[in-house]
Amino acid sequence: MNLVDIVFYFFAVIIVASAAVVVLSKNIMYSAFSLLFTFFGVAGIYVLLNADFIAVTQLMIYIGGILVLIIFGVMLTTKITGLEMKTGITGKAQYAIGGLSTLVLGGTLIYVFNSTSWFKSPSVPTTSTVEAIGASLLTNYLLPFEAASVLLLLAMIGAALIARRK
Amino acid sequence: MNPEQLKILGSSFLGDLLKSVNLFYPETALVVTFLLAILVDLFTRNRPSCKMSGYVSLIGFFVTAIFLCNSPQGMSFAGTYAVDAFSIFFKWIVLITSFVIIVFSFFSKELFGEERQMGEYYTLIVGMTFGMFLLSGATNLILIYLAIETMSMSSYILAGYTKEIKRASEASLKYVIYGATSSGIMIYGISLLFGLTGSLNLSGINAYLAGNNVNHITLLISGIMIIAGIGYKISAVPFHFWTPDVYEGAPVTITAYLSVASKAAGFAILIRLLNSAFTIHAAGDTINTAWSVMKNVDWTMIIAVLSVLSMTLGNFVAVWQTNVKRLLAYSSIAHAGYILMGVAVMNYTGVSAIMIYLAIYMFMNLGAFFVVMIIANHIDSEDLEDYQGIGYRSPWLGVAMTIFMVSLTGLPPTAGFIGKLYVFTAVLNSGMYWLAVIGVLNSVVSLYYYVKVFRNMFLRGAEKANQPIELSLTVKVILIALIIPNIALGIWFGGLVNWANASAAMILK
Amino acid sequence: MTPENLLNIAILITLLPLLSFLINIFFGKKLGKVSSYIGTTIMGIDLILAVTVFVSKVFNTWSEYLVQNADKSLTYLASDAMVQLKYNWFSFGRLNVQVGIGIDNLAAIMLVVVTLISFLVHLFSTEYMAGDKRFPRFYAYLGIFTFSMLGIVIANNFLFMYSFWELVGLSSYLLIGFWYEKDSASNAAKKAFLTNRIGDLGFFSGIMILFFTYGTFMYDEIFGKMATGLIPFDSGTMLTVAGILVFMGAVGKSAQFPLHVWLPDAMEGPTPVSALIHAATMVAAGVYLVAKVFPMLTADALLVVAYTGAITAFIAATIALTQNDFKKVLAYSTVSQLGYMIMSIGVGSYMTGFFHLLTHAWFKAALFLGSGSVIHQMHHSAHHFHDHHTDPQDIRNMGGLRKTMPWTYATFLFATMAISGVPLTSGFLSKDGILAGTMAFGNLTGHWLIPIIGFSAAAMTAFYMFRLTIVSFHGDFKTKIAEHTSENKFVIVFPLVLLVVLSLWFWYSPNPFDANAGWFAHKLAAPKTAVPANLQWDFLLTEEQKTAYAEKTSKAAEAKANIKEALPATAEGTELHKEAVAPEANQGAKEAAATESKAVGELGHQENDLAKASEHKAEEVKTEAHTTETAAVKEEHKTGEAAVAAHGATTHEAGNAHAEAGTHGGGHYVNKFAEEMHHFHVPAMILSLIIAGCGIGFSFLMYQFKLFNPDALANSLRPLYNLSYNKWYFDEIYQATIIAFTVGFGKVLAIFDNKVIDGIVNLTGWFTKLVGHITAIFDNVVIDGLVNLLAKVTSLFGAMIRKVQTGRVQSYVAFVIIAIIMLVYFLK
Repeated sequence: MNLVDIVFYFFAVIIVASAAVVVLSKNIMYSAFSLLFTFFGVAGIYVLLNADFIAVTQLMIYIGGILVLIIFGVMLTTKITGLEMKTGITGKAQYAIGGLSTLVLGGTLIYVFNSTSWFKSPSVPTTSTVEAIGASLLTNYLLPFEAASVLLLLAMIGAALIARRK
Repeated sequence: MNPEQLKILGSSFLGDLLKSVNLFYPETALVVTFLLAILVDLFTRNRPSCKMSGYVSLIGFFVTAIFLCNSPQGMSFAGTYAVDAFSIFFKWIVLITSFVIIVFSFFSKELFGEERQMGEYYTLIVGMTFGMFLLSGATNLILIYLAIETMSMSSYILAGYTKEIKRASEASLKYVIYGATSSGIMIYGISLLFGLTGSLNLSGINAYLAGNNVNHITLLISGIMIIAGIGYKISAVPFHFWTPDVYEGAPVTITAYLSVASKAAGFAILIRLLNSAFTIHAAGDTINTAWSVMKNVDWTMIIAVLSVLSMTLGNFVAVWQTNVKRLLAYSSIAHAGYILMGVAVMNYTGVSAIMIYLAIYMFMNLGAFFVVMIIANHIDSEDLEDYQGIGYRSPWLGVAMTIFMVSLTGLPPTAGFIGKLYVFTAVLNSGMYWLAVIGVLNSVVSLYYYVKVFRNMFLRGAEKANQPIELSLTVKVILIALIIPNIALGIWFGGLVNWANASAAMILK
Repeated sequence: MTPENLLNIAILITLLPLLSFLINIFFGKKLGKVSSYIGTTIMGIDLILAVTVFVSKVFNTWSEYLVQNADKSLTYLASDAMVQLKYNWFSFGRLNVQVGIGIDNLAAIMLVVVTLISFLVHLFSTEYMAGDKRFPRFYAYLGIFTFSMLGIVIANNFLFMYSFWELVGLSSYLLIGFWYEKDSASNAAKKAFLTNRIGDLGFFSGIMILFFTYGTFMYDEIFGKMATGLIPFDSGTMLTVAGILVFMGAVGKSAQFPLHVWLPDAMEGPTPVSALIHAATMVAAGVYLVAKVFPMLTADALLVVAYTGAITAFIAATIALTQNDFKKVLAYSTVSQLGYMIMSIGVGSYMTGFFHLLTHAWFKAALFLGSGSVIHQMHHSAHHFHDHHTDPQDIRNMGGLRKTMPWTYATFLFATMAISGVPLTSGFLSKDGILAGTMAFGNLTGHWLIPIIGFSAAAMTAFYMFRLTIVSFHGDFKTKIAEHTSENKFVIVFPLVLLVVLSLWFWYSPNPFDANAGWFAHKLAAPKTAVPANLQWDFLLTEEQKTAYAEKTSKAAEAKANIKEALPATAEGTELHKEAVAPEANQGAKEAAATESKAVGELGHQENDLAKASEHKAEEVKTEAHTTETAAVKEEHKTGEAAVAAHGATTHEAGNAHAEAGTHGGGHYVNKFAEEMHHFHVPAMILSLIIAGCGIGFSFLMYQFKLFNPDALANSLRPLYNLSYNKWYFDEIYQATIIAFTVGFGKVLAIFDNKVIDGIVNLTGWFTKLVGHITAIFDNVVIDGLVNLLAKVTSLFGAMIRKVQTGRVQSYVAFVIIAIIMLVYFLK
């Protein structure tokens, strides 16, 4: 077990544990805060994969933007409505079904990951990926890139619409 | 990447880009319409229920149609987007449906009853149309995903547009959560497929699969996950759970829209995915050649299973429904099952049968929903019980609904018969007799609940005849315009069949 | 005019009445009285267009012409026989279903007949139907009826023919039952509809037989393939059956025996409708159909057609003798005359049959509209006196109308003369032709019964028609209602005058005693039969057809002889082979096995070779025989094809020849029948004149001069009189047989249900009880357990299905995940 492996498992444990808290915690505040660790762990894995751009994006947008918004939203809602933000208690049957299907799906996926010969791309020099991503977005992936802009505009319109009183 | 490499990449891309722009006029027109509709809405903001951006959208659709008529064909945007006869056929279906839906909306009391800002409504429909256009031509997994998201994002909001109605906002929320999960599953499948083949373009995937040995189970899992994402769009069982709730909660116009246009776009991408990525293509392929599937993944069986499940569950549950919108929701699930039979055939005859079916399904389903909307405008109910005597109160609505119901059942001389005929023939020709038998049995079951609508309208409640429902001339004209294709395509279907046959082939590179 | 234009106009002619229908059905309420002007104007335009088509089709030559559009879905064909358009409707597998329209001379003439009568009826009804509360609806129905009738006329395939055929049935149902408040009217409408369905059932079966044999609905293709010798199921009988089945459609629609019962009842409809439906159009559709399918009728089928027509003509004429209702007399007279036409086509006298359809359309429409004129006045008059007991349609209440309604009288009288066959009328020309045809047929085949019936029906026709005229128009007013009548307005009188003028001879032939001198006979020669010669009346075949057939037969015989010749050679070869191979080889093998091998073996080999050679030779002979046979068959086919080509293209020529033969009195005839007909022309004319004169004279003596007392005559012939007066008891017979049988069968089923089924049920119940007792213990322990289990499972399943659609999005998501897992494991 070399250093990279140790770092990987470190982040992996953070991700899985914090994600479990997100799902299982009955207090939404706790869930929101644990989500912070999940995002952080994922960013760590990106760094391990030499995906510098995505790692930074992950930190800035998900942690710096989205998560903060979520936490603010939860806190403000509690303040304004005086409602305690807690999820309902789920029954044992649900736990059983959920646990079983998670186990089966997880087992299948682990089996598949181990037994599959994945596509191996030719090794790339470990320089910054920002330039290559930028070039791709404006050449080979121009259309998806532009389509994404329409998608985001739509999402904004929708959000404004939902937020509007009337 | 050094500047020299960038330069080469840029110059090689420039030619492709110029070619691509030529192929991209209809979509460009849609984006321009989308922006214009927002702008116009800004100027008419202080007048609620203003239809101005609706008219702008209609004009935009018209311009799009003109571009679509003259559209050249080819591969564009570095192989991410195919403009071929196949996608153009589906774009027509999407465009006509969008146009009709906006026209329908003008008559909706549900939408115009309250003082409501309607600008975003049209904007979102145009945006959704754009998404579906992209979906019918997308040949790149990223673009497929984005197109589905564009479509979904608009439909989430549209489904809850009447947000003061609890039923609608609840439906919208469920739709968002369900849709997010589905697209999560789908993108997981996409990432598996990318991991297997190292390509996002369908042609690249196809080439890799043809030339290399890949793990069978992994391919199957990734395929099923992607199909789950598409299956949710076409509301195929078991990915259909959102359908009844959303169909019931959403405004009728949006229900109609979801049941026709997004279903058509979903089928377009399902067929393209199976054909372009997972089957071997030889040079001498003709329209009757069966596609030979790669890596022994039994896609036929997967699709056939989904088809049987959809037909059976859709029809058997529809029998018990008392709300007409919910009934039509299950009926649309059942129809997805019939159309999936055509996909299961996995040859071009099946594809052309699907296209015929979808074109016809568009007219009959839109017609049925329009009648539901007009009736709801007058009696404020979508309950089957309240339909009693409608045939006497307004013979127009009664007769029109009967024709649409007969067409949906698939009885001659309506268009629905022709659609079913071609699908069943394709299935029989491929030798899947058991599937055809199940399909026919299901059609028989469907007769029961379609007739129930008819029965309530004409055989019950004759005493209500003294409360006539008066329809405006425009509504009558729209009804006639919807009835005509339902009858005419049952008689002169040669043109449609020829067009579908000519459009069944896809560009693969 | 190019063929395209001609066909486009024909389509326009057909669609215009539909437009009238749409306008009147959708905007009728707002239009009110205006709807009649719209309808009438549209029909006026339609008439002008129809005349244009008629003139340009019939009096022009149409050279061979063929245009196909780019994708070959649309084909225009033109020849002198028929200008037509074929449209590839759809293809399904190998089957390419075509539809289209076609105008031949028959259709061109029929177009004028339908549009003119329809126009006049539209015009007439503006006055006659004025004040009816569903006035616009009436015009709408007239429109849809005319549309469907024109559709029958311009169809060039069985599919269109049948569709419009049914549409005619439907629209006539609407028109007959127009006054549906009257029970009698709605019953009559139902009766007409149902009776027609019986005929249509046969028609449909006939079409299906043809379609499965020939794979097409097109007339010309069916007849063409038939002429090459392809017949249904390779059986002449089946061809006859197909012909008779198709003819059944005509039996229903043209009110032929035994399905004629609906027509007299249909007089419950408004009188203009009677004129439209029961004089000129709908009932003529049957005759038109028989004329269209004439080429495919075998000798046997034609004989059935002829006898059906003859029987109908006779029965209906006898019934008409004693009826007292003005319209009923006309109704039976129509049935009788339709029988005439059918009979005429049945005996092979195609032209005269259709000619009679044309002439009859005019004068019968005049008679019906005349009756409408009378009834209209009688109604008004009765209304004036507040008299609701006197039947305004009963001729015994009329009398003397000659004085109050001079125009109606004059036109009615002339039309009566025409139907009775008085010289200088068109009726004389056509009737004479028919009688000559029947006599020729009688002479050629020995079926003399047909001409005898024909002549007796002619006598009766003259008698009852003059009876009708004399009783209602001559003499004194029998009631004050009759006295109070007055002449109708122009819109009612004008159609009468026009129709009567059209019933003069000079429109059709310059010679008032010979129809063959006119254009009609030139333009409407019988089409050549497509039926194989051995199934056809010998005398209907043309010389060339006969030679072709003879050649064909001799070729076939030759081929057979060749095969026979080849057979012995083959046999010889086989024997040689046997001789050589079997013993020698055996022996050779033995000997070789014994001692010296090689020499003998060689010998054996040699012998073997010899045998093989002989075998080879035999095979050659065989092959040769085959070749000869194939050649013969091929040639046969060629001849057949030539026949097809000739079939369409030379109709015109044949017509010319026929006409020549007729006018120049001798020389070359198309076939034996034409020759015979020519011989019988003069005798038939003289005989028919005498007979018509007798009928008329008798009528005058009895009703005008009262030399005989009709009642006394009726008394002395009481059984016959009753038979006639009660319409041969057809309705009663049907009531007592078919209807009673149906009802009885239902009752039997009910009894069966009560006794047998109940018995079985009871028995089962008893048995079950027994078994139940025996298995009571078992039941309690095991079955109950199982049933409970099943119920539990079912309800669990139901709950599951219900639970699946919980409305909780969390569970939806969970189900999707589970579904994916299951799919993966199911399909791996």
